[in-house]
Amino acid sequence: MLEDILKNIVEMEEHEAINKAKEYLEGGGDPQKLLEVCRDAMGEVGKRFEQGEYFLSELILGGEIFKGIMEFTLPKIKSGSVQKIGKIVLGTVKEDVHNIGKDIFKVFAEASGFEVIDIGIDTPEEKFVEAVKEHKPDIVGMSCLITAGVTSMKKTVDKLKEAGLRDGIKIIIGGGRVDESVKEYAGADAWADDAAKGVRLCKQLLDWRVD
Amino acid sequence: MVSNAKELAGKRYARIMAAINLEEPDRVPLRGFGGDIIPAYSGITQHEFCYDYEKAIKAIEKFLTDFQFDWAGSGITGLDGRVFSVAFSEYPDIAANTTFITGPMHDALGDKYYRYPGREISEDASPQFIGGTFMEADEYDQLIEDPVKFVAETVLPRACRNLETPRQAMATMVRLGVEFARYGAAGREIGAITAKLGYPSIPMGGAYAPLDIIGDFLRGIENVLLDIRRYPDKVKKAAEALVEPIVNYALSYKQRGLKWVMIPLHLNEYLSPKLYKEFYWPTLKEVILRLADEGMKAQVFFEGRHDAHLETILELPKGWGIAYFEKTDVVKAKKVLEGHTCVMGGIPMSLIVGGTPEKIEEYVKNLLEQVKPGGGFILSANVGNAPRETPIENITALIEAVEKYG
Ligand code: B12
Repeated sequence: MLEDILKNIVEMEEHEAINKAKEYLEGGGDPQKLLEVCRDAMGEVGKRFEQGEYFLSELILGGEIFKGIMEFTLPKIKSGSVQKIGKIVLGTVKEDVHNIGKDIFKVFAEASGFEVIDIGIDTPEEKFVEAVKEHKPDIVGMSCLITAGVTSMKKTVDKLKEAGLRDGIKIIIGGGRVDESVKEYAGADAWADDAAKGVRLCKQLLDWRVD
Repeated sequence: MVSNAKELAGKRYARIMAAINLEEPDRVPLRGFGGDIIPAYSGITQHEFCYDYEKAIKAIEKFLTDFQFDWAGSGITGLDGRVFSVAFSEYPDIAANTTFITGPMHDALGDKYYRYPGREISEDASPQFIGGTFMEADEYDQLIEDPVKFVAETVLPRACRNLETPRQAMATMVRLGVEFARYGAAGREIGAITAKLGYPSIPMGGAYAPLDIIGDFLRGIENVLLDIRRYPDKVKKAAEALVEPIVNYALSYKQRGLKWVMIPLHLNEYLSPKLYKEFYWPTLKEVILRLADEGMKAQVFFEGRHDAHLETILELPKGWGIAYFEKTDVVKAKKVLEGHTCVMGGIPMSLIVGGTPEKIEEYVKNLLEQVKPGGGFILSANVGNAPRETPIENITALIEAVEKYG
């Protein structure tokens, strides 16, 4: 059954995936196991995307199926027993209102075990600073789809430095308008213009925390 | 006033046309950009640039005087209004007026599609198209049945606060008409300025990919992508139904004597080749072909990465128009489309904003070595909007590099 669910998610069979997941839980299945299977499925979707087999529409539908299953699965898992591997504060930068890429990255990060605090779009620098103070994340993620947002990222990093918070976090930037030179310019630690790679990099950034 | 304006314009025109006709021009033409840098360069706010046409025209004149591209790419700011053009598509004298919705038109409509500086956002922010969801999934049948009626009578009253009731709509339309006249006059004034500065005139109208009308203005991008999976037949039929009004709207430009339409694409990058060929391309292709039958050419802006769909362009007749690329590698695109389609693009805006004059010269030299031979190429920044912090010396460096290596 779990194997079927995995296959249905990966093959984008929304109805089958959701119905079987419901059936599985109603039949006394273990929600924790279901969660793990869904995560594996999302990992596979991300992999296919990185390999050029899947496109953005598959990432969005995959995310939609995942969210659909989580809606009735998460409440069945004892709070506290869901292991989080790290915490990310995520927002689209000031002057930029594109949210789709950020939302896809969020689902994939959550599916691989991160807790993600989404602070929205067109996010002022100060809001990032406040969110870091409040949530004490391991990683700050900034999404940027317009060239004007590049300056916003730099300003945000500068504000985090001024507030003395920069050394306690890692910063990853993403979205269609970032690359190595933008990373350098903004003063971030990593960049990704694809969600699956972004999640992989976030896991690597966590290793730094252990040292 | 440039003393030899006419001659200069003629030379530039021939240069651009040679590239479009897949020939080798005297030098590779450079298409200009504009956007946020224009008000910044003149020290006026975005609000002034969007609402005070007199100031805006002066700022545009200053920018175009100081930065001489081959093809002027600057105008009064307006945001995509193709959904209104669909609604007006039965009235060729009106439909073209809403290709772009300016700040004052936005005020008249009270719409939820846009945010303008000094209104919903700060005086110095760049104007924003934000879109939204103004149609439910169970309304596809109405869209298919009569797209113009559905858009005009159901969608727009939801999307525009000032079109909610018929009497509001009456007043709104009168105000909108006044703004059409003001915008038209400003456009003619800019036309006169560009002519006296020696820029050629290649006026462009508009068309749109049918599925993008649904994504950008009716259902929202994410919803339409999910709809493709959930209600594939309805989405397909709806896109087909929109071909007719889009073609009618685009042809209204023909009546005005224009030969070109501009089509920016949005959903292309999201779709796998399979979905692209099934849901997006057939209706876009039909729009382009029907306009070609009427003697009109298209400049299609392939936003994002179009790599996976490049070959489909070869299905269009040779010389159909200009393929403008954003993130697709233009060297690769030119190889695929050589002798078939004029390719435009090549300069990342991030390089102009974050690079140095030396880096820009180096980049242009390298790129031109690869794309110049054989002609059929127009150099352009990969987007038309330069942010306000764009270093002036980098714009000059770009123009000089093209003069040197083009
Ligand atoms: C869809 C779209 C819109 C939609 C947005 C809908 C929405 N709710 O998000 C609408 C129509 C509303 C829109 C509006 C505008 N847009 Co727009 N838009 C696009 C378009 C076509 C696709 C963007 C997108 O969603 N891509 C898909 C997502 C999934 O990709 P992505 O963001 O790269 O995300 C992936 C990765 O990068 C990564 N990722 C994303 N975020 C993060 C974050 C982290 C931390 C990590 C690790 C990874 C990560 O994961 C994702 C999945 O792999 C692009 C062109 C293009 N194809 O890129 C233009 C584009 C981005 N838009 C552009 C512009 C100019 C605008 C407007 C300013 C237009 C205007 N004048 O009004 C307005 C926005 C106003 C503003 N200030 O922001 C320009 C930007 C140009 C530039 N270089 O500055 C583009 C490039 C189009 C163009 N070529 O002109 N747009």
